Amino acid sequence: MTALKEGETGVIVSIEAGSGRGRCCGKGFHKRLIDMGLTPGTEIAVVKSAPFNGPIEIYVRGFRLALGRGMAERIIVEARR
Amino acid sequence: MSGKKLRIALAGNANVGKSVIFNQLTGLHQHIGNWPGKTVERAEGTLHFKGYTIDVIDLPGIYSLSTLSLEEVISREYIIMEKPDLVINVVDASILERNLFFTLQLIELGAPLIIALNQIDVAERKGIKIDYKRLEEILQVPVVPTVAIRGKGLHELLEKAIETIEKGFSNQITIRYGEEVEERIQRLEGVLKNIGLKYPIRWVAIKLLEGDEYIEEEIREIKPEIPDLARSLAEEIERIHGHPCPTVITSERYEVAGRIAREVQRILPSIKPSLGERIHNITTHKIMGYLIMVLVVFGVLLTIFGFGGYLSNVLSDLLYGFEPLFESILGFGPLKDIIWGGLIEGIIANITIALPYIIPFYLILYILEDSGYLARIAFLMDTLMHKIGLHGKAFIPLMLGYGCSVPACLGCRIMETERERLIAGFVVTLIPCAARTVVIMGLVGTYLGIGWALTLYIVDLMIVLILGRLAFKILPGEPTALIMEMPDYRLPHLKTAIKQTWFRLEEFLKISFPLVIVSGMLIRIMEISGVLETISYILSPVTVSWLGLPEISGVLLIFGVLRKELTLVLLETLLGTTNFQSALRPIQMFTFTLVVILYVPCIATIASCVKEFRWRKALAITITEILFAILVGGLAYRILLILNLLE
Repeated sequence: MTALKEGETGVIVSIEAGSGRGRCCGKGFHKRLIDMGLTPGTEIAVVKSAPFNGPIEIYVRGFRLALGRGMAERIIVEARR
Repeated sequence: MSGKKLRIALAGNANVGKSVIFNQLTGLHQHIGNWPGKTVERAEGTLHFKGYTIDVIDLPGIYSLSTLSLEEVISREYIIMEKPDLVINVVDASILERNLFFTLQLIELGAPLIIALNQIDVAERKGIKIDYKRLEEILQVPVVPTVAIRGKGLHELLEKAIETIEKGFSNQITIRYGEEVEERIQRLEGVLKNIGLKYPIRWVAIKLLEGDEYIEEEIREIKPEIPDLARSLAEEIERIHGHPCPTVITSERYEVAGRIAREVQRILPSIKPSLGERIHNITTHKIMGYLIMVLVVFGVLLTIFGFGGYLSNVLSDLLYGFEPLFESILGFGPLKDIIWGGLIEGIIANITIALPYIIPFYLILYILEDSGYLARIAFLMDTLMHKIGLHGKAFIPLMLGYGCSVPACLGCRIMETERERLIAGFVVTLIPCAARTVVIMGLVGTYLGIGWALTLYIVDLMIVLILGRLAFKILPGEPTALIMEMPDYRLPHLKTAIKQTWFRLEEFLKISFPLVIVSGMLIRIMEISGVLETISYILSPVTVSWLGLPEISGVLLIFGVLRKELTLVLLETLLGTTNFQSALRPIQMFTFTLVVILYVPCIATIASCVKEFRWRKALAITITEILFAILVGGLAYRILLILNLLE
């Protein structure tokens, strides 16, 4: 997801299971992402990236979501042109 | 007006206007506390309607009923175990699909339900029109459109609620999943049928497939083979779909929610970006956003501490004006010292800290949070806050900490998990508040120069960073990551803001009043009976030998627990002069101030820690900080000696 530029859209392919080390992505967060509606097949649009490697703002299912970058990196999306 | 008693629970996602509905319904009859044994806020209120006395309970705002966050477990347990007569599901009409996802889970839970379709005005402005009658038909749940901030539809909501309760419940719909999932749900339902569950069977079956640890645990106690069966069934689903089973079920549930949403809503393409949209773009802009944030934060600090400081002074001048009166009644003996010095000064401390700072603080925090701006600050500050193992939202309490630790500590409740709240709480108490600034400036700034005062601030900031990281490593739990909805900007509801401020203040005073008064009197009594000197003597191995301070500092540090600036005030009283150089050598001034900054949060802060984290953790924070201050103070003393500085 982090490879998408601002304004680009994509479809979620999968969320890589986290190993639980580093900044993010234990089992709980994986679940939380899914519950927020980031299920495979969902279309998302990257709205904005915060500076200094900050979180990414995406638009999904009619609302805005801010995701920490470490987490966003694990969300695999297929870019739509 | 006795009538029959009813219990109604409000449930819904975060940011849907739930607390506004709660406040509109319950008026002034409310009570804000914590859930038993939890640090999650519990708001309860009563209202009278059509001869009924209705208890309304505001369940914590949640995203779904399956992830195991504290809020969610609380809500779900309440609905299942306490069996409220009705659950009002507050739904944000402008984000229907995601809100329906939660509604579907409530339906699966078998909760007696009606829906408040809130913020229909916002939805309409976004070009969304909802056929709520159709929604009613599909879900077989009564739906009442509302605009809570203007009180629209709330009377109808109550009428519908009573009507629904009186009528009793008709069968609700079953949410159907895909064939592969459905087949396995039914198999599980089969084995769950006769084991006497307190939960709806189908719900348990679904939760087991979703790998809900909490439910698994419970079923395992009754029949251990069922969770095992569920796991193998879940694996089958994973093999078929290529995704983990919980993901599959959630996807399908979202699909149902999406299908319903599409069927009942008509979306007109919006003509131009709304005002909120434009504000959002500016406030998250990589240059403008930070500029605005600095201005807002500055404004907030100025309001809280400028206004608060002013009011605090006025109040304290006013209240201390009564001292001669007490002197004339009680004389100058120990009785006056105990009554005035302990009891009344305790009350004064409470009034001068609590009212001037906490009221504007709670108001502003609510407005920041409810308007949606807090989420933008968190967005901008996330990277920086990660350095201490927290995410962006922690910036607010941290900033507040430079003014007063009390609101800072209370502000930690904006963090989502207990762990984050605790780390934030720990960190903010170490930040030099206004009272500590008095000591820093009055002692180090005046006698050693501004450079040394600045050094103290920098040392403190480094300590905060290091300890924050350390706490982040040590405390169990998942590392922090930001997953945060950025709700549309909206005007906060002032009446709700004021009421919430009032009830939270009440809750705070209930804890802090007794604590401050009792400890104040205790210390005074110790002083009069001469125990304090003995304690000073007992403490001298630490204060004199380790920290290199004069013996008198033991007394000062004990008094500083009441209010940190008292350390300086008392020193002045004991010396009979403000020329502190006669009592403290430069190196002692530095060490002493460093210890004062770190050693223990003041009693009001401890009270707010107790409110937020309960006794055990508040004590843990306090003791850790005392030990830590002694350690750092002693080390600093020795380093300065070795470097031959300040002698």
